[in-house]
Amino acid sequence: MTTVGLALVKEVAYAARAPRFLYLHWPFGHALGEPGNVPQQRAVLHDMLSMAVAAPRAGLVVPLPYRWRREAYAATLDWTTPGPAFSTALASLTGPGSISDPRQHRAPA
Amino acid sequence: MSGSATLFGVIPVGSAFGRFVSRLIALPQLRRLTTGDIPWTPLRKPIADCTVALISTGGVHLRGDHPFHLNGDSTYRVIPGSARREDLAISHQAYDKTDALRDINLVFPIERLRELEAERVIGRLSDVHYGFGLMGSAQKLMPAIKEVARRLGRSGVDLALLVPA
Repeated sequence: MTTVGLALVKEVAYAARAPRFLYLHWPFGHALGEPGNVPQQRAVLHDMLSMAVAAPRAGLVVPLPYRWRREAYAATLDWTTPGPAFSTALASLTGPGSISDPRQHRAPA
Repeated sequence: MSGSATLFGVIPVGSAFGRFVSRLIALPQLRRLTTGDIPWTPLRKPIADCTVALISTGGVHLRGDHPFHLNGDSTYRVIPGSARREDLAISHQAYDKTDALRDINLVFPIERLRELEAERVIGRLSDVHYGFGLMGSAQKLMPAIKEVARRLGRSGVDLALLVPA
């Protein structure tokens, strides 16, 4: 079973050493965002589904750049392509010139 | 239910202070418990074919179920995929629940996932989801976590989404 977690405390996400985490600097009790803000909640879920597909190795904590209550969220139209914010955040950890994660992971079961 | 949040009934939890307390309590325990390799199970099928389950640590449970002990609870609650927002309650005192009580999707996005199932973005919403409450001891939580993982594995869930308080 594949897992993707949201985290609101970055250090806890790193220490948990889970397969895949997305980090949001948002208040407790608001992992999906603001009440009634459906585009925002769907954007977070889109990023979680993208992480399930695109994370290249275990232990990545991808910080999402969304500022609390200062973003406008467009409707998610294409669910099979990662959104630009997520793609940029993931590439900053895994792309050319990024710092490689030295931790090894098990081969797929 | 009051929206004011306290940890263990006494410590007021603001945003920055809550993060500090969270780090203080969680980090030493996690560093002890998470030795060895990081597990890794790649997704083996397209999202549109996956059965998806939610695991929330926001204290969510069925209104008719036993509430979580507010000062620490090492058990879990089963939440059926058919649960409506009026069927759900929150027993947790370490975060401000005001907004989550207005919109349960903030800590348990069941309605959003139901929409994604209807839109065929995901294959299927799992029949069963899981809720945890506040627990200061990660070690004491491990038996329940392992049981939930076994249950999810047996039920054919492909992807579990973890949502924190």
